[in-house]
Amino acid sequence: MTQQFDIVDKVALAVSAALMLLGVVILGLIEVLAGQPYGAAPLTNEAGDVIATPAIDPVVRTGLVILGLVVLLMWGVYRAITVDPPADRTTTEVTAD
Amino acid sequence: MAYSETNPLAENFGFDVGGPIAAYWIALLRVITGWWFFHAGVTKIIEGGLNFTYGVMYMQEMTGTALGPIPVWMGNNLGWLIAPGVPLFETLIGLALIAGAFVRLAAFGGTIFMTLFWIGNAGFGHGVVNSDFMGLLLFVTMIFLGAGRYYGLDGIIEKLGFVKANPKLRYLLG
Repeated sequence: MTQQFDIVDKVALAVSAALMLLGVVILGLIEVLAGQPYGAAPLTNEAGDVIATPAIDPVVRTGLVILGLVVLLMWGVYRAITVDPPADRTTTEVTAD
Repeated sequence: MAYSETNPLAENFGFDVGGPIAAYWIALLRVITGWWFFHAGVTKIIEGGLNFTYGVMYMQEMTGTALGPIPVWMGNNLGWLIAPGVPLFETLIGLALIAGAFVRLAAFGGTIFMTLFWIGNAGFGHGVVNSDFMGLLLFVTMIFLGAGRYYGLDGIIEKLGFVKANPKLRYLLG
């Protein structure tokens, strides 16, 4: 059954999820704990001057998420190359409009 | 639908992956996501034809992002593709999702678009998880769920003899 994951699938999905959660949640939490600004954008005063910058560069956070998506993409390609889809699938319950 | 101790509501109102509520919602989500891109693309075509020069400028100014010099290089060297490609591909991606045809391939294109919008657009004034990022996740969701199989043409296309003879095409369909 192709839906069952082997070790390669599990590692790829775990690495991808870890990278995305690190970029979004873990580093986001660190950013909040580090004090203002609590988001990923610099804090400015009324004159528009930057008075505080994020603890974590958003380039790092977005980069980790993109890396996680790339791992997912590579996993998809791996599945397409190595796993044979079933000969036929039952799709009769749902048809096009 | 069997009674589930872990989800007492399942008997009456369950979101079973293979159930009708899941199919309904995935299809609705797909069509609305498709309309979002179709509208973005077709209005560009109406207003400026296949010559979206702002797209080239946008890429050229994408310095200091997580993709490094790639977007700037694309802006400087692939203007011939970007200017007509942005409105054209946005429209086609939207149409594909609305019709449910070649959804995984189209949603992959949407993912590329949304990645560029996400890291290039906002300055993250609303945080890293902003609407562009949620849009990106919508396209990834379409890929994962094979959303074109739910009330979409992919459900029919996948039954064609050509696809049955080349079952790996289902990785682009669905």
